[in-house]
Amino acid sequence: MFRTKNKKVSIALILIAIVYLILSFQLPSYAYVPVDSDLVPIGLGVILLLLSAMLFFTKDQEQKENEEHIPKKDLPIVLGVICFTILYIALLEIIGFIMTTMLFLFLCSLFLGYRKHVVNAAVSIVIPILIYLLFNDFLQVSLPTGILPF
Amino acid sequence: MDVFHGLIQGFEIALSFQGLMFVFIGVVVGTVIGMIPGLGPITAIAVMIPITYGMDPAIALLLMAGVYYGAAYGGAAASILLNAPGTSEAVATTFDGYPLAKQGHAGKALALSAIGSFVGGTISIILLTFLAPTLAKVAVSFGPPEYFALMLLGLTAIASLSEGSTIKALISGTIGLMIATVGIDAQTGTARFTFGNAHLLEGIDFLVIALGLFALAEVASLIKNRKEKATNMHSVGSLKLTKAEAKEVAPTMGRQSLLGFLVGVLPGAGGTIASFMAYISEKKLSKNPEKFGKGAIRGVAAPESANNAASGGAFVPLLSLGIPGSGTTAVMLGALIVLGIQPGPLLMNDHPDVFWGVIASMYIGNILLLILNLPLIPYISRILLVPRQLLISLIIVFCIIGVYAVSFSTFDLYLLLGFGVLGYVMRVIKFPAAPMLLAFILGGMMEQAFRQSLTISNGSLSIFVTSPIAAGMLLVAFLAFLVPIIKSRKSKKNDPAENNKSA
Amino acid sequence: MKKRLALFALILLMVVTTACSSGSKNAGGSSDDKGDSGEWKPDKPIEIVAPSGAGGGWDTTARMAAKMFNEAGIIDQKIGVVNKEGGGGSVGWAYVASKEGSPYNLFVSSPPLLLVPLNGQSKYDHEDFTPLANVIADYAAFAVKADAKWDNLNELFDDMKKDPSSITVVGASAPGSMDHIQFIKIAKAAGVDITKIKYVSDQDGGALTSLLNGSVDVYSTGVAETVEQVKAGKIKVLGVTSEERLEGDTLSDFPTAKEQGIDATFVNWRGFFGPPKMDKAAVKYYEEKFKELSDSKEFAEVREKYGWDEMYMDSEEYKKFLDEQKEEIKGLLDDLGLAK
Repeated sequence: MFRTKNKKVSIALILIAIVYLILSFQLPSYAYVPVDSDLVPIGLGVILLLLSAMLFFTKDQEQKENEEHIPKKDLPIVLGVICFTILYIALLEIIGFIMTTMLFLFLCSLFLGYRKHVVNAAVSIVIPILIYLLFNDFLQVSLPTGILPF
Repeated sequence: MDVFHGLIQGFEIALSFQGLMFVFIGVVVGTVIGMIPGLGPITAIAVMIPITYGMDPAIALLLMAGVYYGAAYGGAAASILLNAPGTSEAVATTFDGYPLAKQGHAGKALALSAIGSFVGGTISIILLTFLAPTLAKVAVSFGPPEYFALMLLGLTAIASLSEGSTIKALISGTIGLMIATVGIDAQTGTARFTFGNAHLLEGIDFLVIALGLFALAEVASLIKNRKEKATNMHSVGSLKLTKAEAKEVAPTMGRQSLLGFLVGVLPGAGGTIASFMAYISEKKLSKNPEKFGKGAIRGVAAPESANNAASGGAFVPLLSLGIPGSGTTAVMLGALIVLGIQPGPLLMNDHPDVFWGVIASMYIGNILLLILNLPLIPYISRILLVPRQLLISLIIVFCIIGVYAVSFSTFDLYLLLGFGVLGYVMRVIKFPAAPMLLAFILGGMMEQAFRQSLTISNGSLSIFVTSPIAAGMLLVAFLAFLVPIIKSRKSKKNDPAENNKSA
Repeated sequence: MKKRLALFALILLMVVTTACSSGSKNAGGSSDDKGDSGEWKPDKPIEIVAPSGAGGGWDTTARMAAKMFNEAGIIDQKIGVVNKEGGGGSVGWAYVASKEGSPYNLFVSSPPLLLVPLNGQSKYDHEDFTPLANVIADYAAFAVKADAKWDNLNELFDDMKKDPSSITVVGASAPGSMDHIQFIKIAKAAGVDITKIKYVSDQDGGALTSLLNGSVDVYSTGVAETVEQVKAGKIKVLGVTSEERLEGDTLSDFPTAKEQGIDATFVNWRGFFGPPKMDKAAVKYYEEKFKELSDSKEFAEVREKYGWDEMYMDSEEYKKFLDEQKEEIKGLLDDLGLAK
């Protein structure tokens, strides 16, 4: 690789620090305190800038076997789960907690390769209902009902 | 009324059939609520308030005490089993609790947590019983400059939480502090980094970050290993501690309970700082600090004893001064008011029955929790035997409910997912997540205390050194920060391999 | 085993109802029996939004009102409390604003409904909603340490005029919000230069501690928070912001700002609102029900427990009251240059 991983990360961080600093300098001022709300953010932005620069010149740690690296074939699965989760969140308030959770639990487990369909269906039906009852009736915390009447 | 007379009266109520029954119900309900990420002691008590309305105050308090302890314990269970800390107090427990569970020692970790909580709880109640009036003075001795110094001291833990690269840990911590600046600034009312989004005005919720960085990021690793069977299935539920292990954790529990209690007495500091400080100090005291973070039993015992002791300590300012020192005791205060009791400096004189009733119910709640939960551990830890593919979906659902039940906004859910992705990326590029979370938790309060101090002093920094407590803590913080850096420099020169070994 | 059976039956039931009823419900309040007679009654559960998390003042008011409505038999429909936390209330308000016309989505609010929009943090203010009824009132108290050199507000304000930088005021919320504004309002009436007041905000529960250990000098808070500390001789209350002295043990000892010659009051009112363009018949229904609630002995008990004052206003009065309040607060914020 032409550039080390540390260098790439460092450049990304420097960009973040610069954006953060620009936003910090734009904070409106407030006249009645000796130290305004922008002091700490500006300080933090500068610190991040310095630390990122230090990282840039730090050698990468010896590349041992990276435990967290996802094998290429698993990447679509992770992305798939993320998509399922986004759909779940998007539909939660529209269709309601019970229905979306049932669908999410069943489909996501299926997608991950769970093949005991009866168990899966049972869990997907029972768990959302139990949670819903626990929250709505016992804890008096209303979860979205959506299109269901309860 | 003297201490013993009061206690006996308190126990009479607590040990009646009705009393025991309500503590029992409280503990069970609390444990269940606490296990759901996002529902901690605060929610558990808040939802109990309408239920206890109209109840006999003494009995209602028993129920509350049960719920309180149960919820705290339930939170630890979620941290250990799912890497999903539901409250900031439970974050430090994940550091070694989850690795232990992954190695097939979930039962042991849960048992350690239960016993640690019990020891911490008991020691703090004993101290509370005898020292509450004396310690009340300590509780009000901290003003903004002292809090600033304390938070800074807590932040020095960042360096100790790093595995390998100190720079990466510091970057991670700095970003945590940056995240803490999002929202309306309390000293000026200025909205910072909110981009006009109303959901960001009150800042980003702790849960969004904790569940994202810890639990959801872990889900990605689970996906990779989804076809593996859970390891060491036969031993998941075993609670057994060897004699050597028991000997190892006993002093840990003792000293960290004391530390936790003292930190807990300070309003606002509470269980989170206590648990982090306990974890760090135990790591520093240990002969094998490299084991921490990889399933050290002392790494579970220390924060668990400390945070429970701290929650006992938080009752000192509440009961002796009427000052709620933590979110949980603030809700407790509300609960007591509903019951017709206004806690304040006169509580002990005006309502000795209530004062001792609370203390007696804490003793009982604590004991019942241990008795109930130890036998339940094998069942609770069975959650790990759920097939991975199903468990992954369930963890995601629990995280989502946890966040939604606190914020009721889908915006926070997207944010949660975002932090999940960030947490995973950080793992891949080997940036530790713990410093970020710690800095986020402490950062908001630290900045506010810093600027409150400067407003009070009209801008003069001398306010931080004229207070001996603040000056002393700042000095310790300074040393705690510098010494490890100097040490690592030295060891790097002497032995270049050292750095990689500890990575 | 029995339990499991019951659970199973329940689940079955739910699945069946789910299957049968999805899609049969329509949005909003179009299925209400309004008619021309002007009579309206709820025919499905009512939702009260507390624009804050569990445990706070709004949440407590909403939960207690919901409970007492049902317990005293004033409203038979189920009433659920929903927490919509965020933005000092603006998230909850935006949610209710989206329910235009619905008579089933109420919310509880207090002065922040005026303050937060004036600070530029909410698109919606009281004019966007339908005021239903105010129910309770609370007042501010200004406390100092028991051994402080001031014995009344005038002594304090005189010192503030002489050397503003030596006196720090603490409150639990940011500048421009309630704890700040209530102090500013009284101080201004007393002739203090309000741009010189040193105010720090402590949102982590340390305000009282800071007062007790002498870090700050004055604590701007609610009356209820001070009573126990005064009884114990730890602090003294220099003034409260009510029109007349409050009733009750210790409370009646607190002098009002008015009786000290400072012509200003501040009310922390708390009441209920509906979404924009709520039907007149529904407004009338809720007005009556809140009046009944306010008069019930059950709610009187709740008020007593929390130390709230009774302050009922119907929809019309309430709206007028809010308009006046808004003008006053806006004036103060303009003086400070904080109004957005």
